[in-house]
Amino acid sequence: MHYQTEAWGSYMPTRSTTMGDPLERIERMASENAVVIFSMSTCCMCHAIKRLFCGMGVNPTVYELDEDPRGKDMEKALMRLLGSSSAVPVVFIGGKLVGAMDRVMASHINGTLVPLLKEAGALWL
Amino acid sequence: MASHRVGETGLSDSGPSNHHVPYSLFHGINAPSTSFINQEGSAFDFGELEEAIVLQGVKIRNDEAKAPLFTGRPAATLEMFPSWPTRFQTTPRGSSKSGGESTDSGSAVNTLSSKADQAQLEPESPISKKASSSDHQAFDQKHLKLQQQQIHQEMATGPSHNQSSVKAPQEKRKGAGSTSEKQLDAKTLRRLAQNREAARKSRLRKKAYVQQLESSRIKLTQLEQDLQRARAQGLFLGGCVGAGSNLSPGAAIFDMEYARWLEDDHRLMSELRTGLHAHLSDGDLRLIIDGYVSHYDEIFQLKVVAAKSDVFHLYTGMWITPAERCFMWIGGFRPSELIKMLIGQLDPLTEQQVIGIYNLQHTSTQAEEALSQGLEQLQQALVDTIAGVPIVDGMQQMAVALSKLANLEGFVRQADNLRQQTLHQLRRILTVRQAARCFLVIGEYYGRLRALSSLWASRPRESMMSEDNSCQTTTELQIVQQHSQNHFSSY
Repeated sequence: MHYQTEAWGSYMPTRSTTMGDPLERIERMASENAVVIFSMSTCCMCHAIKRLFCGMGVNPTVYELDEDPRGKDMEKALMRLLGSSSAVPVVFIGGKLVGAMDRVMASHINGTLVPLLKEAGALWL
Repeated sequence: MASHRVGETGLSDSGPSNHHVPYSLFHGINAPSTSFINQEGSAFDFGELEEAIVLQGVKIRNDEAKAPLFTGRPAATLEMFPSWPTRFQTTPRGSSKSGGESTDSGSAVNTLSSKADQAQLEPESPISKKASSSDHQAFDQKHLKLQQQQIHQEMATGPSHNQSSVKAPQEKRKGAGSTSEKQLDAKTLRRLAQNREAARKSRLRKKAYVQQLESSRIKLTQLEQDLQRARAQGLFLGGCVGAGSNLSPGAAIFDMEYARWLEDDHRLMSELRTGLHAHLSDGDLRLIIDGYVSHYDEIFQLKVVAAKSDVFHLYTGMWITPAERCFMWIGGFRPSELIKMLIGQLDPLTEQQVIGIYNLQHTSTQAEEALSQGLEQLQQALVDTIAGVPIVDGMQQMAVALSKLANLEGFVRQADNLRQQTLHQLRRILTVRQAARCFLVIGEYYGRLRALSSLWASRPRESMMSEDNSCQTTTELQIVQQHSQNHFSSY
């Protein structure tokens, strides 16, 4: 698991100025890695979902929205996307939205999560 | 002469005979019923009536019309109190046939003529007993007495009767009968009197009973209203074990719904069991199983609502029995434990199915681990918040703690979600018959856990009385035997 520090622009070649739309930003960030989790450092359910993926041997990319200057907007965009009052945690696999904790767990139980992870290259064996 | 006869029969409520009254009574037959009612309190000549009835007897015998004597009276009250003489009371058949308050002279009492009515004779009425066995002429005589009795009784006790009871005497008058009064000898009169008394007593009893019923009904509706109100306020405690008065409204409501769910569970399980043993087709069995899965979905939905209103009630396991509580994980059963319990009992399984079951056990374990760790972090955060020094003031600290605590609902919900998904996946892996057996096993397992709880609760505390361990064991065995009827009969 590694935490993306996009907010620290000095190490980034460019910070795109056309990223006005938080949703677009989310989608861009989600497609950059096999498994992307939008989280908040204080959220316990986010902790649970991180532990789930780590327990499976997956190395997800985590964005802590409360540590991102544009986190608030992204939070609102995620809420709209999910249609729920809680924005985090949200999981993208292979750039595609999987969902919040309940969807992730359901897909793990019914056996669709592991193939998805393998397809995205996040899991081997 | 007529009044003399009246005196003999001891009719207490007959006043001085007025010859004009009966006439007006009969006259009132053609008038609306109110005129009759106005007159019912007044005395009249029973002798005249008897004569009329005797004559009427002939008409009854000859007349095949089936209208009952008391048309228009609400049948319900009569049928409710099937005392003598049913012969003369409105039967459902009879009342449906009655055309109402028409002045049809043919609509006199002739239910007697029908065999069906004879079948309804009450054993307690001596005359009716005799009537069924006596010869034709005597039969008529008894008919008349019964009828007369009824008419007297009805008029004496004063409820609002319809006109046909008065019609009869008039009919009698109109119809020229051949029977004479000579048949009314002393013995008959005595019997008449006895019957009158008996009928009057029954009438009074019936009134009392009806009154009792009415008051009970009113009480019942009041209780129901109170119950509704109390339910809305959450004061109703339901049948939960060890319920104190400290249940929140949401908890009380959930406990009631859970109790109902358990009843449904019991019923569905017997359905499943009979379905299995009856070797139903797969299609039929599938319907039953899908119904059972929906039944489980129901309780999970109820828990979602309950978690919103009182998460502690679910999380601390106060809604389940103590033995179940021992094995509780975040407000319910632990999915991986359930799978472990099932593994040995689902044979025979195909290789594919075995892999599926073991995968299910594996993934549910992983999910449980994740949720448990998330919950641990929540607990730690709470502890840190409450134990830490208040930064600004105590209230802010409490507010922070409250907002953290709110996350508990999310964990209970996710745990229930995991339980629900596990059951659904089980259903997918197994065939119809295997799934039926599987759900039966699950139901029985939790049923036994619940039974264990109540057995444990009701075991006698022998330790103070004797040190002998064997004595204790015996007592426990006795309890088990005692309870075996209740708890194990379904297995």
